[in-house]
Amino acid sequence: MPVQDRTNEFKACVESIRSRSNYPKGSEAKQRLLQNGSAGRGGKGEFARMAGAIGKDIAETTRKLGKLAQLAKRKTLFDDRPVEISELTFIIKQDIAKINQQIASLQSYLKTQKTQTSGKGGVGKQVDEHNHNVVMLLQSKLATTSMSFKDVLEVRTQNMKESKDRTEQFMYSTASAATAAPSNSLLFAKQREDGRSSRNDVKGKGRANNDDLLTVDLSSAEEGSGRGADGFMQMQLVEQQDSYIQSRSTAIESIESTIAELGQIFSQLANMVAEQRETVQRIDADTIDIANNVSSAQRELLKYYASISNNRWLMLKVFGVLIVFFLVFILVS
Amino acid sequence: MKIFSVSVLVAPPGSSATLLSNASDLSSFSFYQKGSVGEFMTFLSKTVAERTSQGQRQSVQENNYVAHVYNRGGKERLAAVVITDQEYPVRPAFSLLTKILDEFTATVSQTQYDPNPPSSTSAIQFPMITTYLQKYQDPRQADTIMRVQQELDETKIVLHKTIETVLQRGEKLDNLVERSTALSAQSKMFYKTAKKQNSCCVVM
Repeated sequence: MPVQDRTNEFKACVESIRSRSNYPKGSEAKQRLLQNGSAGRGGKGEFARMAGAIGKDIAETTRKLGKLAQLAKRKTLFDDRPVEISELTFIIKQDIAKINQQIASLQSYLKTQKTQTSGKGGVGKQVDEHNHNVVMLLQSKLATTSMSFKDVLEVRTQNMKESKDRTEQFMYSTASAATAAPSNSLLFAKQREDGRSSRNDVKGKGRANNDDLLTVDLSSAEEGSGRGADGFMQMQLVEQQDSYIQSRSTAIESIESTIAELGQIFSQLANMVAEQRETVQRIDADTIDIANNVSSAQRELLKYYASISNNRWLMLKVFGVLIVFFLVFILVS
Repeated sequence: MKIFSVSVLVAPPGSSATLLSNASDLSSFSFYQKGSVGEFMTFLSKTVAERTSQGQRQSVQENNYVAHVYNRGGKERLAAVVITDQEYPVRPAFSLLTKILDEFTATVSQTQYDPNPPSSTSAIQFPMITTYLQKYQDPRQADTIMRVQQELDETKIVLHKTIETVLQRGEKLDNLVERSTALSAQSKMFYKTAKKQNSCCVVM
């Protein structure tokens, strides 16, 4: 949804209303608004233009991505067009990077504009919010486009793997036909040339494609009995290419395993902390108990003390009675 | 682990290669050797690029230098050569070559060296080549895969330390639990004794 610039319509409305009713009190406010519109119009128009351009680019990239998805879905064995696919992939990757840069520049432009026109007040704030929302929208659209690009690439890798398996099947079935072997290696030699030229454009995809063709070539080189020295040279070439790709894939696999290990360590950590949470809860309950016990013991002691100090009058009375009895006894005896 | 020189050449199949852009770091050689070593390196780059067929990667060892070459071919028939010492890891060298070729085709238009390549390398402006040379002197930082691996290893070390700290925390928490249970029992006894004081016989 590209941003539409409707300032002209707004201006026309204002003019018509003004001509319809001569409104002296509100004319100043309208003048101010119009001026704001025309002054910021340069900036806002610029922003709208850039945002529109970005939206158009995103639409264009989505269209190309749709074409790439079509190409990648084909599962035929022989009519595969690796050159086109890799070129298209490269173009789309570059487009996405360019759109990313454009959005970043738009954001920085927005920021500079905000600092310039920060004293605008209410109207300026709404414009800023709108611009901000437009940038967010463009970013989310770009994100969805790159997600679908990733999906298309995954589909493509799967299809390539399947086609490689099927080609291997066919290779083993035609191995018995000795006359077919030389033509096979010729065919694959020609395909290898095409595969190499496609390497120009795409790093990951093209390389996997070349790997695909080259592994088939290796099997054909082994079986082609008539092409002794040639096959050996081809195998050497294949080994060289293969070793680079294999070393790259092993490095990436090791990274993947390291990340998996890290994940495990994190989950272990979480487990340990969860266990310790129980212990902490026990400690908490215990301390509360201790506080309660001590306070109630103190209460009891206070009661005791109070009772003692009150009780003394009664005890004095009891003592007094006893002493009187003693005196009586002595007087009697 | 050093890179001595990086160069981009145009290598038409069958005929001789021409040097398009070159950057070298000969600081480890003495002043009098620099000239001859530089010439040797250009000669080695050209020879190796000529002997490598289109779309092929090779590593050639010569005395104690190793030349990694990637002849990309394609329309522009470009090739890139990097000369390093023997310790430099092979895979980042090749990824450096691919990166340089991509940048070169992106920045320098083909008309500058096709059909007739320029006589001197200063005619073609490609300053990125020196930045790449400097950056890739430490392959661990510059090459993405190695950098990611290194950061992951550091994170793993930090996590191990964290787990040890958590274990110690567990011990201390167990200690605290014991003490708090003991204290709780004692305070309960205190309370009972105080209560007994209160309700017992009417004491003097």
